[in-house]
Amino acid sequence: MTRYIMRRCLQALILLFFLSIAMFALIHLLPGGADAVFLNPRLSAAGRAAIRARFGLDQPVYIQYLKWLGSALTGNFGFSFATNQPVTDILAQRFPNTMELFIPALLLALILAIGIGVISGVRQGTLTDYTLTTLSYFGISMPIFLFALLSQDIFGVTLHWLPTSGTATYGYTFDFFNTVLDRVLHLILPASVLAITFVAGWSRYMRSSMIDVVKQDYMRTARAKGVSSARLLMRHGLRNAIIPLITIVALDLGQIAGGAAITEGIFAWPGMGSLFIDSLEGRDFPVLLAMLLLAGTFVIAFNLIADILYAVVDPRIRYS
Amino acid sequence: MDISERLNATPPTGEEIEPFLELTPELVRPRRSQGRIIFDRFIRNRTAIIGAIFLIVLFLFCFIGPFLWRLDPNVINVDNVSSTFAPPSLAHPLGTDDVGRDELARVMAGGRVSLIIGLTSMLMAIIFGIGVGSFAGYYGGVIDNVLMRFTDVILAVPLYLLLFVLSASFTDHTPKSVIILIAVLTWTYAARLVRSEFLALREREFVLAARTIGAKNMRLMFRHILPNAAGPIIVNATLLVGSNIILESVMSYFGFGIQPPDSSWGNLVSGGQSYFDSASWLVLAPGLLIFFTVLCFNLVGDGLRDALDPYMTER
Repeated sequence: MTRYIMRRCLQALILLFFLSIAMFALIHLLPGGADAVFLNPRLSAAGRAAIRARFGLDQPVYIQYLKWLGSALTGNFGFSFATNQPVTDILAQRFPNTMELFIPALLLALILAIGIGVISGVRQGTLTDYTLTTLSYFGISMPIFLFALLSQDIFGVTLHWLPTSGTATYGYTFDFFNTVLDRVLHLILPASVLAITFVAGWSRYMRSSMIDVVKQDYMRTARAKGVSSARLLMRHGLRNAIIPLITIVALDLGQIAGGAAITEGIFAWPGMGSLFIDSLEGRDFPVLLAMLLLAGTFVIAFNLIADILYAVVDPRIRYS
Repeated sequence: MDISERLNATPPTGEEIEPFLELTPELVRPRRSQGRIIFDRFIRNRTAIIGAIFLIVLFLFCFIGPFLWRLDPNVINVDNVSSTFAPPSLAHPLGTDDVGRDELARVMAGGRVSLIIGLTSMLMAIIFGIGVGSFAGYYGGVIDNVLMRFTDVILAVPLYLLLFVLSASFTDHTPKSVIILIAVLTWTYAARLVRSEFLALREREFVLAARTIGAKNMRLMFRHILPNAAGPIIVNATLLVGSNIILESVMSYFGFGIQPPDSSWGNLVSGGQSYFDSASWLVLAPGLLIFFTVLCFNLVGDGLRDALDPYMTER
């Protein structure tokens, strides 16, 4: 087991190293280049060289990369071109907001996907199953921005039930209870929109996994021993059916992060996604580079965790 | 009656035993070709057929439609107030937009761009994915390791983020550049799929047999192994068209893809969203077209998956 974990960790580290090279190269290949942002066209050649030297841009790319990597490893991702703040500070500022959207959306998606998957898996071929299948097809085929627009229009503009942008109502101070309520109300639309796009795919997966499990001999044995239906489903069925979903969710985390960026953009949610889109428009390369790397690290880390979890649950994996 | 009686009732004489197999019409009928079997199976899948018919209608709508509906999608008409934001009517079945352009004509023009981007980016991604996947799966070892680490790096970064960074910097926002960009980032799944098919197929006897009679590597890979992996690739390709249409629409929606005055369904939605309350057709028409197109590609893809499944054998 330890050997397996060591091997997977090493692989993840190597992947992370390649990722950092690829992302650094990508940002440096961008037209305009990292140095063009500061350069005034009326600057003399000597002044230009001085600025390039100050930012280390006169050195070969691999030296620049190693320097950047060295400081990135200590948590220093340089300074934003736009605001001159340390990139780490900017990201730290935005991070809690993104998590406030990301974690509820992920939980909502998981609960819905598992619930829908189990129900249509157990009632395979019934009207309920067909209805849920049709709905999930709709969910898969709907672009996220269309879903966001329609829900904003229906629940925000027409019905006036829910706020459509931001994380809280600004300019008002509430007592503690109302502050929490206000934030939750602001969260409902973006979190649901983000969650729905993944519920469709995951519930299909959960359904077929559940159908496989229900047919297994141990399910019949448990039923024969007199285990109650609810307990049979939760303890014997769900526990086994949920294992393959772990891998799929881990693989999709990158897509959720991308979806979160889009959702934040549409709902004016002041998280890392909006920051990404703003930095892109302002060509703020240090921030972009840090975010691309952070997103990649996040995906690699969760895939590593999923692999290890998988090996813990299913001993056959370790020895292959 | 008990067992001894039953045994006596029909004495086992040679002549009276019925032939074990009767030649029923089922068996006499000539064997269908494999393509025919798959086609028949697909035809019987009702939802897949509905999806396929809708797709044909959509293609006719976007590519033949403009010959029947001759209004120019780019002609601006701001002569009087009633020519802009006109609600759907006989003259303009889908209304007009903020500068009086006919929405039906614009949706057709945008649909051509969206469909072409979806299809060609799929083709490029699949061809590249087949190339990478078959070399990695066939040769294994170092080649496999290098190619797969390469795909892992692309898969590790959220697709939308890469797409936005690359499109903001490298493309000129023409359909051609958007196609290349989407293809460059979406071949990875096909590559993994082809690789795993090759890993399984290369050990099979027919490959060994072909190698024994002197077939070279290239011939083995593309004449012998690849056709056997066709099923999953076709299914993946169909589903990829739908997801690429969504990618394009998201890019265009955020202003990183096709830019006005050129239109695609994605940027028609983003152009119309400011007027959603007063002129909802400007969002709903292109939006629902994206939705139905992707839905149909998904239905057809899943129908093909069932039809191509080798475990569902029949004569």
